[in-house]
Amino acid sequence: MSGELYRDTGVVLRTYKLRESDRIVVFHTAENGKVRAVAKGVRKTKSKFGARLEPMSHVRLLLYRGRELDIVSQAEAVEPLSPMLSSLDRASQGLAAIEAVDQLSLEREPNPQLYRMLVGVLRTIATTPSTLNVAAFYWKLLANEGMRPELDRCVRCGETEPETPLVAFDLNEGGVLCRSCRSGQAISPGALEVMREILGGRLVTALAREESPTTHEVASLATRALEFHIERRLKAVAMFETH
Amino acid sequence: MAGNYTAPVQVLIDELGRLPGIGPKSAQRIAFHLLKVPTEDATRLAFAITDAKARVRFCERCFNVSEGALCPICNDDARDTSKVCVVEESRDIVAIEKTGEFRGRYHVLLGAMSPLEGIGPEQLKIRELIARIEPEGIEEIILCTNPNTEGEVTAMYLARLLKPIGLTVTRIASGLPVGGDLEYADELTLGRALEGRRTVD
Repeated sequence: MSGELYRDTGVVLRTYKLRESDRIVVFHTAENGKVRAVAKGVRKTKSKFGARLEPMSHVRLLLYRGRELDIVSQAEAVEPLSPMLSSLDRASQGLAAIEAVDQLSLEREPNPQLYRMLVGVLRTIATTPSTLNVAAFYWKLLANEGMRPELDRCVRCGETEPETPLVAFDLNEGGVLCRSCRSGQAISPGALEVMREILGGRLVTALAREESPTTHEVASLATRALEFHIERRLKAVAMFETH
Repeated sequence: MAGNYTAPVQVLIDELGRLPGIGPKSAQRIAFHLLKVPTEDATRLAFAITDAKARVRFCERCFNVSEGALCPICNDDARDTSKVCVVEESRDIVAIEKTGEFRGRYHVLLGAMSPLEGIGPEQLKIRELIARIEPEGIEEIILCTNPNTEGEVTAMYLARLLKPIGLTVTRIASGLPVGGDLEYADELTLGRALEGRRTVD
């Protein structure tokens, strides 16, 4: 397998400094899943493609397959990165999105659905600012991973609304619970409605919502649910939640 | 490799191997070079390290590396105290000083915000920067962090924090390197160069 050139398109998830002026760049690609590659000389000011290999960049790549790390031979921008770096909100949302994908993407495991979702969320963040961009993305990621939460009936007794109000959400059980079975944390009817919009094909309605305690509830629940699934803390979200 | 050399040599190799950019093979090469050179040369290196470590510390005001409580730039009375240039590392000061274009003071953050690595504003010298504004009568803060994602996020965060205080906050321009070729320029840099164009006088 090693020693051949191949083409792919990918989004930069992370970069690490390597030696004097190189970088290791981690991509999630359309066809090859997570790819780790060395980009030579990109930290020099005169580098031809240094600016295209920053986190969140969406690039068309020519890669040279190596044994452990590939080598970036060419990189062309598919979409400009400038909107992502034009405001702190966009940058922080974009970073939160790529951090989650970095956790879910597996090396050399093709996951085109994850790639499409990532490109989609970055486009949304760049064009339509919404406080729920990241939360909606996290819920959709969980659904894609086969961890879609049950929102319409109590996960323990199966009772449905409107006869039985669903009042709690348990990460362990993976869904909502009625008053008599409740465990986990409380969930407001408003937040439940927003989550149904996100996962029930009415994403635009959800994203159009103004920032409110309800959207905060949905956002923090989304972060906790994803952290529960990956069994790790998400750093980027935590940083910007407190500021 | 452990145990193949006599203890002092192994200790030396291990210590050298902990330096940035030096792997086990390079460490071995440097260690044997040091064993081969005259004793004075090796002692001079050892002294240079201990001396630098003992005498150099961070400037109390701007966190530049310094021999005394304040660095030479902060001690220089000829400098414009109303302008402060915010940089990530001390070595960035050297680069800016070489241009000869800036006569104000500096502030070193000792890093950049990196949400993906969990490095937030608390780990940087941001509180110390805010504390300088009032007593020093700072009027302009130039955000001179690196033009990469981490540097941009840091600059945007600082801008949001500093603007309400009512001083001029500027960001260094991005453009094409002198001696570069337009056709090889990446679109982000070229776009910014166009955005920041100015009239020719």
